[in-house]
Amino acid sequence: MTATARPGAHLAYREGSPLALEADYIVVGSGSGGSPAALVLARAGYSVALLEAGPWRDADDYPATMLGVMRDLFPNWGATVAVGNSILPIVQAQLVGGGTVINSAIMVRTPGDVVASWASDHGLGDVLNPGNMGPALDRIESELHVADSLEDTGAARFGGSNQRLLDGLRAGGLSAHPTRRNVRGCQGQSRCLQGCRLGAKQSSNIGWIPEVLSLGGTVLSCAPVQRVQIVDGRAVGVQGRFRHPQTRRAGARFIVRARRGVLLAASATGTAPLLQRSGVRSPALGRFWRAHPGAGIIGVYPDVIDMYEGVTQGTASIHHRGEHGLKLESLALPLELVAGRTSGGGKQLTARLGDIRHQAMWISAVRAEAVGTVRQGRLGGVRVAYEPTRRDLERLRLGSALLARTHFAQGASRVRPGVVGLPFEIGPDEVHLLEQAPLHNRAWTWVLSHLFGGAVLGADPNTSVVAPDLHVRGVRDLHVVDASALPTTLGVNPQHTIMAVAWIIADRLANDDRTRTKSASKRD
Amino acid sequence: MLTRTLAWVLAATFPSSGDLPGLDSLDVRPSLRQLQREAAPVFALGLYGSTGAFLLCPLLTVGWPLPAFLLPRRVLDRHAHAMAGHRFYLVRQAMLMIKTVGAALWGAHPAVRSQLGLAAYEPDPGTFRGDHVVPQTPRSAPQPAEIQP
Ligand SMILES: Cc1cc2nc3c(=O)[nH]c(=O)nc-3n(C[C@H](O)[C@H](O)[C@H](O)COP(=O)(O)OP(=O)(O)OC[C@H]3O[C@@H](n4cnc5c(N)ncnc54)[C@H](O)[C@@H]3O)c2cc1C
Repeated sequence: MTATARPGAHLAYREGSPLALEADYIVVGSGSGGSPAALVLARAGYSVALLEAGPWRDADDYPATMLGVMRDLFPNWGATVAVGNSILPIVQAQLVGGGTVINSAIMVRTPGDVVASWASDHGLGDVLNPGNMGPALDRIESELHVADSLEDTGAARFGGSNQRLLDGLRAGGLSAHPTRRNVRGCQGQSRCLQGCRLGAKQSSNIGWIPEVLSLGGTVLSCAPVQRVQIVDGRAVGVQGRFRHPQTRRAGARFIVRARRGVLLAASATGTAPLLQRSGVRSPALGRFWRAHPGAGIIGVYPDVIDMYEGVTQGTASIHHRGEHGLKLESLALPLELVAGRTSGGGKQLTARLGDIRHQAMWISAVRAEAVGTVRQGRLGGVRVAYEPTRRDLERLRLGSALLARTHFAQGASRVRPGVVGLPFEIGPDEVHLLEQAPLHNRAWTWVLSHLFGGAVLGADPNTSVVAPDLHVRGVRDLHVVDASALPTTLGVNPQHTIMAVAWIIADRLANDDRTRTKSASKRD
Repeated sequence: MLTRTLAWVLAATFPSSGDLPGLDSLDVRPSLRQLQREAAPVFALGLYGSTGAFLLCPLLTVGWPLPAFLLPRRVLDRHAHAMAGHRFYLVRQAMLMIKTVGAALWGAHPAVRSQLGLAAYEPDPGTFRGDHVVPQTPRSAPQPAEIQP
């Protein structure tokens, strides 16, 4: 016996008889890629089923503490890592809205050089070009209320750490700007990572996905898709089993049939393994996995900075993006995370946190040249193999030294590099130590949160999983609309680009379908 | 037993210092028990493995051939500190795992936050949306022609 669902419903964890559903399109994953794709198809009049592995949490459900964040917002309590000659934590979200719920809401338009390289090096000029990227980016900006964070929040709530980085970089002759973010009425509470309890951040669970529901779409949460059903070379549906978000108990099975197509947006760690589990074969599957690894550096000031009073990430600079692949930003990391990354243990460690209100954390992230792989692991998890190169490390070191100098120029008395082999703190005349810091991944505390690839788009069948006609090679009606499709890194924050690419692909599918249906009915 | 051992290791990692309370003076066992109940297996495995490493490593860190719980207070403190900066990467990684959990408990504790002059956290509700049917509303969204970029 099977239960069915009516359109316009959100269905959460359930036990008992299997659930069967049918929709024109299925979208797997509800983050930066999945949510706009579902929205575009729903607005075009198609029935859409959006499936998400995590639960749907509203603003009142968001946790406050880091333990709560690990439990309620991260997959596997944040235990996903990339392994190479060091272990790099991968930060992602698992709930309706995906990364849009926990990210810092920064929206950066796709740089022109990236779109140009997608055309020239990956044969994507017909699909992704300035002519369609520009309007898609514009449209998303206006729907998500993207605004300058200093103007939106006001100088009083912008935050001391953000202001110092802005002033410091500019005084040093570098271009820097207040970030542009998709927020409305941000109060500068520095709690983007916990999900915005005020509802200021325009994450997809508060805007786009409710609209999909109101247009008759169905949302299944707590519903990790196990595999895509492929029959005679065509994607016809997906299947899986509900999973309780807290107890992880397996619930009812679900099967969703797709009349027109399946769009995968399970993220750069989820989509390629899902394709592998579904039996898709491609020499490029799971390869060309990339990232923007980043590391933080803390300045300690004689006066109170209060980095938790202000915008989480209010200032950014891509001045060195071209030459060095560097992105510099301020970041108010919660106390718990600062405590975890501060070097030392025992009494010294506790004592080192006593000046937290005087600390300002800034980060440099690298547009890394390293290329890794992502695979389905044997025990059900995913295996990411990834190792930043020596050049990536040199760039990170350069960025960290630049930030250290900026801290000192802004009045910091000490800087905490957080690099093994270096003193816990350095003074203004010791930045050379940082400039000569060890070039080994194990010495640095990298974190990965901007991820790309694994199922990339491109013209060459040996280096891409998805062809420029937008179908996964060898499988009709199967598409990829998340970060895993991007064939390169960006050197800027990725969500705006991911959203725009998903938007364009979904729109193209909707229009192709309409053209096909029209010509078929004319023939009839 | 396991909870007590974990609590002890975490307290050795984040002990009181000056006016700042540490995990040795705060009762975090209820949160720890909850964590043990709810943590993803891979996370719990990492934490237990790291706790074992903390107990067994004094020979590597401070040259004492004893498990950590037999170390005198001052030596234990040196051990905790030395683990965090040890030249063996896996020892450092084990300590990072312990610090991550210890920091999460310590940094969220109201007594610590108040001493540091930071606002207290609200409780974590741990709730999520159940089933929900959205009444069908007239189509107010833009029509297909309008959504072309
Ligand atoms: C802490 C943090 C801060 C960031 N800040 C910014 C920022 O300010 N600006 C910016 O541009 N970018 C930022 N990013 C990056 C950005 O959020 C991501 O690049 C983006 O969300 C990735 O989009 P995606 O659709 O590929 O994946 P996600 O947004 O991660 O969505 C994937 C979704 O798929 C679900 N899923 C996975 N597997 C399955 C399955 N089998 N079945 C069903 N569902 C599944 C996941 O649960 C998840 O919800 C940040 C990231 C992090 C972690």
